[in-house]
Amino acid sequence: MNPAEEGRGPTAKDPRQRAGLRPVRTRLAVVLLVFCMGTVAGLGWLVLRGIDAFNTANSDNLQWVLAQTDVEFLRFKVALLEAQRDPEKLAAVRRRFDIFYSRMSTLENGVSFRRLRDDADFDAPRAVVRSFLDDTVALIDGSDNRLEAALPALLDQAVVLEAAIRKLSLAGLTSFAQVSDSRREEVADTLILMATVLGLLLGGLTLLALSFYRLYRVSERQARDVARTGSRMRTIVETTVDAILVCDDRGKVIDLNGAAEALFGYDRTEAVGMNAIKLVHPPDIRAELLENQLRYIREHRRPERSERRFESEAITRTGRRFAAEISLDRADDAGERVFVVFVRDISGRKAAEAELLDARDKALAGETAKAEFLAVMSHEMRTPLNGLLGTMQLLRDHKLTEKQSDLLDQMQNSGRQLLGLVNDVLDLAKYEAGKLVPEQRPFEVSRLLEGVVETTSTLATNNGNTLHWSCSLEPGSVVLGDSRRLRQVLLNLVGNAIKFTRHGEIWIEAEKLTGPGHMAEFRVMDTGVGISARNLERIFNDFETLDSSYSRQAGGTGLGLGIARRLTELMGGEIGVESEEGEGSLFWVRVALPPAADLPAQQEPFGHLRDGAGRAVRPLSALLVEDNEINRFVAREMLKAEGHDVTEAVDGQAGVALAAARAFDVILMDISMPVMDGQAAARAIRSGGGASARAPIIAVTAHALPEEVARFREAGMEYCISKPVDRAELVGMLAAIAAGGTPDGQGGPVVTGARLFDEGYLESMRDLLKPEEVDRLARKFLAETDLAVADLKVAAVKDPHLAARAHACAGSCAAFGLTGMHHALAGIETAAKTGTLSQNALKDLALLWEKSRDRLVVHLDG
Amino acid sequence: MTRILSALSLSATLLASTAMAEDLPAPTGDVLLTIRGDISITNAGDAARFDLAMLEAMNPVTITTTTIWTEGEQTFRGVPLAALMEAVGARGDTISATAVNDYAVEIPREDWVADGPIVAFEHNGAEMSLRDKGPLWVIYPFDAKTDYQTEVIYSRSIWQLDRMTVED
Repeated sequence: MNPAEEGRGPTAKDPRQRAGLRPVRTRLAVVLLVFCMGTVAGLGWLVLRGIDAFNTANSDNLQWVLAQTDVEFLRFKVALLEAQRDPEKLAAVRRRFDIFYSRMSTLENGVSFRRLRDDADFDAPRAVVRSFLDDTVALIDGSDNRLEAALPALLDQAVVLEAAIRKLSLAGLTSFAQVSDSRREEVADTLILMATVLGLLLGGLTLLALSFYRLYRVSERQARDVARTGSRMRTIVETTVDAILVCDDRGKVIDLNGAAEALFGYDRTEAVGMNAIKLVHPPDIRAELLENQLRYIREHRRPERSERRFESEAITRTGRRFAAEISLDRADDAGERVFVVFVRDISGRKAAEAELLDARDKALAGETAKAEFLAVMSHEMRTPLNGLLGTMQLLRDHKLTEKQSDLLDQMQNSGRQLLGLVNDVLDLAKYEAGKLVPEQRPFEVSRLLEGVVETTSTLATNNGNTLHWSCSLEPGSVVLGDSRRLRQVLLNLVGNAIKFTRHGEIWIEAEKLTGPGHMAEFRVMDTGVGISARNLERIFNDFETLDSSYSRQAGGTGLGLGIARRLTELMGGEIGVESEEGEGSLFWVRVALPPAADLPAQQEPFGHLRDGAGRAVRPLSALLVEDNEINRFVAREMLKAEGHDVTEAVDGQAGVALAAARAFDVILMDISMPVMDGQAAARAIRSGGGASARAPIIAVTAHALPEEVARFREAGMEYCISKPVDRAELVGMLAAIAAGGTPDGQGGPVVTGARLFDEGYLESMRDLLKPEEVDRLARKFLAETDLAVADLKVAAVKDPHLAARAHACAGSCAAFGLTGMHHALAGIETAAKTGTLSQNALKDLALLWEKSRDRLVVHLDG
Repeated sequence: MTRILSALSLSATLLASTAMAEDLPAPTGDVLLTIRGDISITNAGDAARFDLAMLEAMNPVTITTTTIWTEGEQTFRGVPLAALMEAVGARGDTISATAVNDYAVEIPREDWVADGPIVAFEHNGAEMSLRDKGPLWVIYPFDAKTDYQTEVIYSRSIWQLDRMTVED
């Protein structure tokens, strides 16, 4: 068998079979051994008995005895013959007789001859001899004379007797030959038996030897395996980077590998016999370890699976502490209990983990910082932009040529567009910063659609488009949802439709969907250029501007649809598009709008003043709290233009101080300011019990989220106006405050009209024309403007002719020096063109007209 | 105890023999045994002759044993061979013993020991005639040990003994 085959012997193939065979073989060997021992014992007994038998001869020399009988009889006979010739020889006869007699007695009585006596061939001649001896004894013992006389007769008898003796000795010889034969056979049998037993013994021993050889081979192979495994294990243990310690039950180190020596800095000779816990762990944590992680050592038990691995701190001989992963178990083999401990230095891993965590935190912080930066930047961009837009509005208070007015219109349009873009970016940044949360407020869908149409109609008209809307929801039904976001989504979609449609039609539809979830679908359809199939996928992505002449022409950030998608997702809804190039597009939005059972539709929180403020604005004392110089300037100018008295404060704290000292009719409060922000300042004013503690406060903010508005109200700011401050809106709000008034406010209009009316125009007109001509023109102007203002007051903001009518009216007002009206109308015209015109601006115009008309009439009459 | 007694009896025998050796009397009755050869003490020229009375005077002992030539246990009385050799001052190492029927055998010195063979003159309390293998019969204590149950020993148990020659 070559060594390779040896490893895969038949026994190696099936361990179960091998395990089963072994006891059988052992039992067989034991049985054989016992049998052999028995055989040996039996044989020994046989041999001993044989030896014993040979040792104790139970016979004399038989042949000699038998031969001597013959010889001694013949000598007796010779003595008889000699005595016949010489009577002196009678004594010899007697001696020879006695010797023969003695010999016969021996044959008859000796134990050795017992078997002869049972033999008839022997016994018959013996009896003859015996009777001769018995008969002759008397003669021998008798006198010499009688003996001498009997000699011839004795000689005759002796001749007869000789034959008998011959027979006797022959019979004896035959018999003893048989005895010899049988004894020889007996010996032969014993020898054969011995040989057989020896053969069996040899066989047994051979089997035993074979079995022992086999056992030897097996154990040799096992020893080789053990040696091989041991050497492999040793290599593994020595090459592993983990430190490995082997300790006894009491924690004494029995052995350790090279890695352990290197890691902890102890020589093998030093380490062996040391307490493992003292070797591995720093002193200050040992007690705690024994109390917790290494509890089982005290409890003298094997660690549970969960207890076999833990992280702890380790220390080297030189005192370097490091994070270590400890993995250990107790081996209970062969009654010897040892702990095998693996120690791994994981300080590197820990450091890498910490670094990774740090990097992630930094990256996240970076992302947040970027989003915040974007939000702050957009916000900051709005401030100067508001300044620009406000200043442009103020510019209209001055005398402008038509050319200048047109340029200003352009500037204002561009400014508003820029503001829209900045707002888009801000929304996006806010969304990315995770600062947007959907809100649930009751509102009417039809009113929402109305608002959207109102806002976009001018723009639609400009592009030669017709805007239609329909709502299949019940009129007046109130639903719950985020109206502000929904409005923005629809504005984006409609704005988009208008952008890509020329001289076409745009439909806005709202429909309540059947099925669960109170889903409502809004559709914005156009007959525009449409979108190619390959572009459909990406139009909702950010910064996606499709490569078409129209889109270039339309411009834009490409954020509109991206924001719409985000807002829809924020509301938990879906947005989608169907389109055919050249035919038009259909954008749809599906959101859940559950019916708001008993809640009335909430009024818009701010900005819109209702019909109640019908009276002219009296001059008010206003406190303007604003940190930004440009904004402060714009607001101040707007207020002053209305004839109000303005006191300025550059931050919240200064505002609070002023409000405490003086009773203001109204306070305009910016929200984000250094030192003290608007909310804190408002709270301080309200709770301070100062002179203006009960004055109405208008929050001026760029970011008026619903929850923020709620907070403003809570802080005591019942009004809110968004930046950029719309002049008409501000004027209207102030009118409402003046009318509804503060509790101490004086009723009734006191119109100073300083800025409302510039007498210069009327004077120069009088210089040019005859008084009756001027009077006629003035009356015509008054009548026309009365009609125009009344018309505008009730006009729909989406009325396409509104801008033109406002424009015409503005021109007449400017001619008669009605600067306020001119500016207001110009604002309306611009607003109408950009679709940002509000109904309130038109209502405010009516108020302004009343005041302006009064002033003009006074002058005309005077 | 028995060993002490036998030792004592042996010394007594030796003492007696020594006493006799100095003065071996002449036989008065029938001479039963004649010893010649390398001996130092004689009473008839170069021979030492013994009658029954002389043997009786040599502190005879009794042996009870079976033999292969008889049936059942037998009692023999006689003088130990060692004592007899002592009495004649035997210097050789071998005894050549011869019977009346001229049977002869050699008995080596190693057999002449205490508790060894005797030269018996009485069998079952009676003197032995020639017919009963007398007058003298060398008897070993066959039953005492198996060493005395061999054919060599049986051949040395010479009966009808009447002569001995001590040889080198």
